[in-house]
Formats: sequence, structure tokens, C-alpha cells
Amino acid sequence: MVGFFWGFIKPLIYLLIFMVMFSQSFPSMDHYILFVTSGLILWFFFSNVTSQSVGSVAGSAGLLKSLNIPAYFFPLSEMISELFNLLLTIIVFLVLMNWFGIVYSYKLLFAIPALLLFAIFAYGLNLLLSSINVFFRDVGILWGTIQPALFYLTPIAYPETMIPEKYKLVIKSNPIYYFIKLGRTIFHENVVPPMHAWNVCIFIAFTMLIIGLVVFNRLKNQFISAI
Amino acid sequence: MADNIIVVENVHVNFWENNVGVYSIKDLITYRKSPFKNKTILNNISVTVERGESLGILGRNGSGKSTLLRTIAGIIKPDKGTVTVNGSFAPILAIGAGIEVELTGYENIAMLLSLYGTKKKNTNVIENIKSFSELSDEVLRMPVKQYSSGMSARLAFSISLANDSDILIIDEVLAVGDQGFQAKCYEKIFQIKKQGKTILFVSHFPGDVAKICDKAILLEKGELISSGNAEEICAKYNQLF
Repeated sequence: MVGFFWGFIKPLIYLLIFMVMFSQSFPSMDHYILFVTSGLILWFFFSNVTSQSVGSVAGSAGLLKSLNIPAYFFPLSEMISELFNLLLTIIVFLVLMNWFGIVYSYKLLFAIPALLLFAIFAYGLNLLLSSINVFFRDVGILWGTIQPALFYLTPIAYPETMIPEKYKLVIKSNPIYYFIKLGRTIFHENVVPPMHAWNVCIFIAFTMLIIGLVVFNRLKNQFISAI
Repeated sequence: MADNIIVVENVHVNFWENNVGVYSIKDLITYRKSPFKNKTILNNISVTVERGESLGILGRNGSGKSTLLRTIAGIIKPDKGTVTVNGSFAPILAIGAGIEVELTGYENIAMLLSLYGTKKKNTNVIENIKSFSELSDEVLRMPVKQYSSGMSARLAFSISLANDSDILIIDEVLAVGDQGFQAKCYEKIFQIKKQGKTILFVSHFPGDVAKICDKAILLEKGELISSGNAEEICAKYNQLF
């Protein structure tokens, strides 16, 4: 319950900042609060679950050394607990957004596969980060440093249309962008995302998962020697 | 034919040894080459343990005893060779093994029992752990980080013994408890032996090995230099120094 509370307070503080700062800047935008909140919830799910998971394998040295447990359980348990927090956050979000223009329809159900794809992507990344972190303990610090940059590189607080044409490639090479967009199409625009949007996300999510699994499997036999 | 519970055949285990102090990406960028070297920890080890037998493992510090135990328990996968085990394990009993210090005694009991798959249906299990460890209710409600080393050893030992598994692995753990608890542990170990269970026992006290074990092996720099009757091996171990 405490985790849920913190999980909720963080996007809320950011939301207040953006409401004060940006809602003046984008007066033309429809439902700016709904726009920002839907992006923030997805971003904080991603940010929390990756930050929690980076150290999960290295932090379980005691158990890994004395019990035959598959090491990928540790990032998986972080993922499950964050998904649970996300679920609670979304329930509160759906109620609150009643005042900010959300449309309740069957289309919201498409958020479930969209979030699952995002979770698969995040889990792949977690496998990669947590296994490398066993050998080089500053991966977590590095990841924490990169995150704010990633946050502003992803159109979360500002609309995509604001980006000049010449920088579009930077945005489009950021995998997180596609997941945020997918979720936001459902929550903010109340539209079922087009097929190609799903395909891109499926491709990115499973590519990341495969990369994560390959690296994790390559390194896992040596975890004991390094923790 | 003998009923072999553990068969270890030609097992090799390599570790990536990092002895240049490169433990961060930051260091790696300035070091610019792989900090890892392959080091052989276990070299061509073959051991067979029959059901109901107890095996002592002797050797100097760093000779590969703990690695061998972990390989047998399936925690480390051998790079070459095979390990076949026809039975269930209790968790490895090493100092502080598997105990999460941030959790309370009770939470540790619950966590470890569920990880080992012990049925909690009979609440007797927890009672048994409590009475064997002689830790009071108050102590068990405290986080383990506040325990003394002897207290956490009591807890780990008691939880491990609560499992009705075929193989018990003891890694240099008995030296921590006080005399009373040590005596109790030995009594329990003999009782377990009488029940026909298999024990793998690592100790730096050859006297203990000779008392508890039927067979023993002696490791030196990752190689098995001799195996046989526990008393003979203990004598050989003493000659090492």
C-alpha cells in the first residue's frame, strides 16, 4: 500500500508542475491535463519498474547463493509488484479523469494489451540492466542519470507537433515514444490505435525481450562469482 | 547395485575472475579491455554418494568446497561434466545463507519455507523451528539485522532442519552457535543420519568430520586429491599444514 501511495504521489507532483507551467503554453490543446496525466502514468510505471529492477539480482546475493532459484525471478517479482501498483493508479486515474474529459467506452479495454506490451519491453530492459549491474555496480546510477534526459526526449509533457521537423528522427529513434503514444491514443484521443502502431510496439517489445534474455542467459552462470 | 543419490562426474567449473578492480562502467571505460579472466575453480571432480551416506568435504580456504556444494545443489551449472541428484535438498546451510536481514525472523521463516516448498499446513513446522532455535517470540519479531551472529545461525539452522528433505548440506556453520546449541545441532545431525538421510558436511574441524561422516574427500586448488574413509582423509588433511 505504501508503494502504491508513492507511486501515485510522484506523477501527481509532476502533474502539478506541468499544469502550472505548461497549460498556459498550450491553451489550444484539448484536455491538456488528460494528455499529460496519461503520459505521466505510463512513464512513471516504466521509470519505477526499471529503477527497482536494476539492483534486484545483485541485491539477492544471499538467496541466490544458497537456493536453486532461477535468477530472472527477481526482476519478475519487481515487475509484478509494479504492475499491481499501475493497476491501482489507473483505477484512480479513470475516476479522476472524469472531470478532465475522458470518454468511457469499450475502447479503454485496448489499454490492457498496450500496457502488457510496454511491460514486456520494460522486462527485457530490466533483464539487460540487472544482469550487467551484477558485474558493474554503477549501472543503476547511470540509468538514474539517463532517465531525466529520456523523459524530456519523449513527448510526455508537450505535444508531438511541437517538435521541429529536423528533430523528428531523434524522437522516433526513442523506443519509449511508441509505447507512450500507443497508450495515449487510447486514453486521450479515445481511438483504437491503428494496426501499424501495434506492430511497431510488438516488434520493439519482443526485440528488447530477446536481447534481455540472451544477455541474461549468457551472464547468469557467472552471477555467483560476482555477488 | 548401490543406490546412488548424488553422482558428480568430471565436473569443471570456471569463474570469471576480476582481479583488476574494475567493478563499474566508469572504470571499464578507462580500463578499455575485459577485466575478466577465466579461472578454474573445480577441475575434473567426480564423486558418488550413496543414499544414507554422509560425505565430508575438507580442504583449505579457497579450495572449492563451497563451489562444489553449490554445484551439487544446482545453484551453479558446471561448465563441463554432469551432476545427477535423485533426491530433494534442504537449502545450503552456510553462515547467514538465505536469510534476509531486513526481514524479521517470522518473515524469514515464512519466506524460506515457501521458497523450499514446505507445506505450512501443519503449523507445527513453525513451532518446531521456534523451539529448536530457542529464539523467543520477541526476538523473532525483530529484523534479523538486529540479531547476533549466533542468533541468525540458530534461525538459519532451524529453518533448514524443518524441511523433510533427503539431503542436508552443512557449510561451516556449526562454529557460530554457543556450546549448548552446538551440542544440540550435533545431536540433531546424528538423528537425521539415523533416519537414513544423506549429509554433505564441510568443516575445518577434521574431528567433526570424522565423527559425523562415513566418507570424505580432500580438495586442493579445485582438484580432488584424495577420497576414501573419513578418518584417513582427516589424517591427510592434517598433513597439509
